[in-house]
Amino acid sequence: MKILVPCKRVPDPDQKLRLKADGSNIDDAAVSFILNPFDAIAVEEALRIREVAHPDAEIVAVGICPGEGEAELRTALAMGADRALQVEHDGMLDPWNVARLLTAVIEREQPGLVLMGKQAVDDDSNQTGQFLAALLGWPQATFASQLEFIDGGLRVHRETDLGIEVICLTLPAVVTADLRLNEPRYASLPSILRAKKKSIEHTTPAELGVVLEHRVQLLSMEAVNNQRQCEQVSNVANLLAKLREAEVIEK
Amino acid sequence: MNGELSREIFGNLDDTSRNFFYVLALVSCAVFAWGVWWRMRLWRRGRPDSEHIDWSNAFHNICTRVLAQRTLRRSRPAASFAHRMLFWGFIGLFIGTILVGLEHYGSAALGREVTTPLFHKGTYFVIYEITMDTFGLLMIGAAVWFARRRMRADSSMEHRTPDWLVLGLLITLGVTGYFIEGLRIIRENTPMPGISFVGFGCSKVFVAAGVGKTNVDSIHFGLWWFHSMSAFAFIAALPFCRLAHAIAGVLSLATIPRPLGHMEPIPMEEVEKTGEVGAGRLEQFTRHELLRLDACVSCGRCEDMCPAYEAGKPLSPRDLVQDLRGHMETPQPGALHGETISAETLWSCTTCNACNDICPLGVRPVDYITEMRRHLIGEGELRGAPATSLQKMQRSGNPWGLPSQDRLGWADGLGVPTVKDNPGFDVLYWVGCSAAYDRRVMKVARAVAQLLQWAEVNFAVLGTEERCTGESARRMGDEFLFQELATSNIETFSSHDVKKILTHCPHCLNSLRQDYPQFDGQYEVTHHTQFLAELVAAGKLKATTVMNEKVTYHDPCYLARVNGITEPPRTLLPQNLEEMPRHGCQTACCGAGGGRMWFDDPASERIGTGRVTEALTTGAQTVAVSCPFCLTMMTDGITAKDSEVKVCDVAELMMDENG
Amino acid sequence: MKALVLMEHDGAALRRGSGAALGFARAITEDVTVLVLGEGIAAMTAEAAKFAPALAADNAALADPVADRWAHVIAEVVRTHKAELVVATATTWAKDIVGRAAGLLGGAMASDVIGHELKEGELRLRRPMFAGAIIATITLKGSPQIITVRSSVYDIPEPAATPFAIKAVAVDVAALPNDMEFEGIDRRIDERPDVTEARIVVSGGRAFKSSEDYERLVGSLADRLGAATGSSRALVDAGITPNSLQVGQTGKIVAPDLYLALGISGAVQHLAGMKNSRVIAAINQDSDAPIFEFSDFGLIGDVYEEVPRLIEQLNSSQ
Repeated sequence: MKILVPCKRVPDPDQKLRLKADGSNIDDAAVSFILNPFDAIAVEEALRIREVAHPDAEIVAVGICPGEGEAELRTALAMGADRALQVEHDGMLDPWNVARLLTAVIEREQPGLVLMGKQAVDDDSNQTGQFLAALLGWPQATFASQLEFIDGGLRVHRETDLGIEVICLTLPAVVTADLRLNEPRYASLPSILRAKKKSIEHTTPAELGVVLEHRVQLLSMEAVNNQRQCEQVSNVANLLAKLREAEVIEK
Repeated sequence: MNGELSREIFGNLDDTSRNFFYVLALVSCAVFAWGVWWRMRLWRRGRPDSEHIDWSNAFHNICTRVLAQRTLRRSRPAASFAHRMLFWGFIGLFIGTILVGLEHYGSAALGREVTTPLFHKGTYFVIYEITMDTFGLLMIGAAVWFARRRMRADSSMEHRTPDWLVLGLLITLGVTGYFIEGLRIIRENTPMPGISFVGFGCSKVFVAAGVGKTNVDSIHFGLWWFHSMSAFAFIAALPFCRLAHAIAGVLSLATIPRPLGHMEPIPMEEVEKTGEVGAGRLEQFTRHELLRLDACVSCGRCEDMCPAYEAGKPLSPRDLVQDLRGHMETPQPGALHGETISAETLWSCTTCNACNDICPLGVRPVDYITEMRRHLIGEGELRGAPATSLQKMQRSGNPWGLPSQDRLGWADGLGVPTVKDNPGFDVLYWVGCSAAYDRRVMKVARAVAQLLQWAEVNFAVLGTEERCTGESARRMGDEFLFQELATSNIETFSSHDVKKILTHCPHCLNSLRQDYPQFDGQYEVTHHTQFLAELVAAGKLKATTVMNEKVTYHDPCYLARVNGITEPPRTLLPQNLEEMPRHGCQTACCGAGGGRMWFDDPASERIGTGRVTEALTTGAQTVAVSCPFCLTMMTDGITAKDSEVKVCDVAELMMDENG
Repeated sequence: MKALVLMEHDGAALRRGSGAALGFARAITEDVTVLVLGEGIAAMTAEAAKFAPALAADNAALADPVADRWAHVIAEVVRTHKAELVVATATTWAKDIVGRAAGLLGGAMASDVIGHELKEGELRLRRPMFAGAIIATITLKGSPQIITVRSSVYDIPEPAATPFAIKAVAVDVAALPNDMEFEGIDRRIDERPDVTEARIVVSGGRAFKSSEDYERLVGSLADRLGAATGSSRALVDAGITPNSLQVGQTGKIVAPDLYLALGISGAVQHLAGMKNSRVIAAINQDSDAPIFEFSDFGLIGDVYEEVPRLIEQLNSSQ
């Protein structure tokens, strides 16, 4: 079976991000990028499916990114994906267009399963997987914390606010990975070197026949916490007042 | 014998016997050679070593380590003494036999009669006989001591049934040798028989038992053959039993293993070509490494020293080496990883080098572990917190993934100059990740910086340009992450023309001293205790000579054992230092090295708890340390035992005297 | 602007947080309708109707909250109702089901909205990015606009004196997709949220001397705030808390909106686990504790005294 894993290139959440002077976007200059951690979990799950249930599975990593974005796809290859496809596009792309591009890729690749992270740690939208499933008309299992193959499809445990929900769905399907699905393997530099031999195909939105229709327009950004300046409070009443002011506790 | 003080060689043996003797000698030597060749074939399955053998060094090593038995000095005094007696006794007797051979064949070659010996006569003969008899006693005595220890079976030494054969042969050879001597004395009426005092004693006993001119020849003949057969059996069996260490061990000790704390680099091109890194199969070890597997006699000294073993981890350096050896010998072995050696075993090691240090045969368990770790990392087999730490090191330049922009936060308000502020600095103070981010360790860096300022040292720090040395990444097996970090730091050093480096972290010290030169990073690296000791000696700072409470000092593995630095920290501490039993080069690991700091262990299973107990047992109120890892581990360990004992860096203890 | 608010329920009752979606919709337009889906939802629809005219899609085929069917029905209702604004409270239910519905409706969606502004004729929305380190202001292009809002930000409106009308929604069962099946749910009724997912984490350190004390103080405070509990390594080592609660480099990495560090000293290993929290507040007896250098708010005091006071204050202000 073929498993498609969309992989997003995101800024490393450990670094301090700076905004451009005009507040229009983050300052890309000194930013280092990584493979979206939730997508790494998805890659890992695909690898485990291959190791345990489907030894013949082909794992294809798909990224939508500019030329330099190959590095993150190489990480997926280093972890064990077989090949990668890069859709060249520079700049932010809202979930709608990502889903439409992925739909075009999926029509070409015809995978039996799409495994992706539940959200990207830059925009935190948590929409792309659901949009993709809707556009494809495929069943979806979001926030998956456990995945198993059963007769006729998949049984998925999902992390929800109310508890662990168990659903069954037929294949092909879209599954989005939650944090507790697995712990991704460490793709060390030697495996990245070896992965250089694996192929990365390149294409463009035009080649896929997709005209981008922007749904989200970014107007401005503001930074929230840059440096923590510990404000001492004298008693719990004041502490609560401060926390309510910061909107982290309900009023 | 013509009044000469000598004895007949090969007396009582006719030509047939002698020829038969030679044939058997040839056979046993052939078996011996075959045995050695068979083992060498196993070693040659490894890949060639990058190091060429330095013959003069090899000679020197054989003299000191083998002949003088120096490597036995440091542990198990009784057994070490017994082994020396056994070894020197045996070697002495062996040389004696060679000398007799020389005499015999030399004489014959020169056409001399057996009655006119070449040199085996006179004063030489007297000394010879006394010496041989003495050596014989040493050898038998030692063998008996070993046999008794074996019967008690109370040490970590591994006992195998064929070992009885070895001890039996040694004792047999020794005893029958004396018997033959005694019989020869009776037979030949050797002048001054008392010089062969043991043989002489035997002859007296034999005579009393009724041996005389009538039966001595046949008894002597019989016993002589028994002795010879035993000797041939000994020679033939040598490569096949524990005695093989005589060959592999000598080769191991002769070829210089790398200094402690040294690791071989892997060229990236090689990985790109083969797609493999580290030791995934036995053949990926070097020939010298495989040879060393045969040098191991399973004595268990390494196991006794291993902190992981002490903490109940599934790692015994001896078992690891023996398992690898078994794997090497088995024609169709299973997989090296998983079947022969488990990943858990490999990850348990702190690379404290106690095993590498103590092995009397030059075996290096840590080297096998790091080579196999390289393979695990290359295959992506590391998961969880330690893998995340490696990832953070790569991405953020520190193991916690904290922002690199914050690396100078520790120096707030101290006016510490960066290399940009003070480009004309003499020495670079390498702060390291712990002091940059761990609030407790920051106080150590602040103390060091202030002491340097008070002593008016012309120093600077790299500030935000500093990235992790990569030491723990390398010991965890991530060679390329290490190389990436090292080359980045070396570039930074070059851009600021760094020549001298001062660091308070022994792991950084070792890496800068031993790892970085492999990538053209050559610097004069000093530990802060050395540097501060020099300042104290020069009168620029004062050491804390008196403290009104007991202090003990915990030697860091990478400072004391790996780099031999034990005195400078002690000169900075009070004279009434309470030493722990395992101190100096014999120090016991705190448990954080080898990347273990990044692993998650429940408190009860943590490596180093034994050391914490040892520190508390001294009754000291303060434990002095000189390593940020030790500081963290000892503090956590002591707090976990609900103790109020303080843990401080040596530099912190100097603050009051100098502030 | 016609707004349709999707009311979430757990099968028995409406979820309290759904009120925030109502509050948001009300802040933008008068024309608000609510939609409830499920089976046997008469009581819940009546409850919802106290706030706005209600649509009820009550059908056996919708007995369980299965994404493909529910999203299909929601999209249908949005189209027939000609809603321009679709709102729900940002919960896992909304992300899953409303997200899919948005995919069927053109994908003009903004999630986790924490503020808005009507400016120059357009609806500007504020939402967190980069785990809350950045707040972005965006607008959506296209119609309908589908928005999920954070429950803590908008107030639940007051119920009206007289309830509004309820209309049934016809469900074309034959047209419903049938590729998903709900098997069951392991309800986390008595359990607290997971520490890696919770909005608020109340974490305890070495100051707590026993499991009972930890439960009594940290546990109660967490329950009062609907928060998850966490702990430092010291407590796990001491056997006071289980390993699953450990926050830190070798434990869990968390990024809640609020991390309350109670009696935690703040060693770097712990910091590595919670440094991305939006707000860090600490209570510690030791004024020198490193945690204060890394918090937004600090209170120097004994947790055994301050935590009960905190709980009391929260209770009295209810």
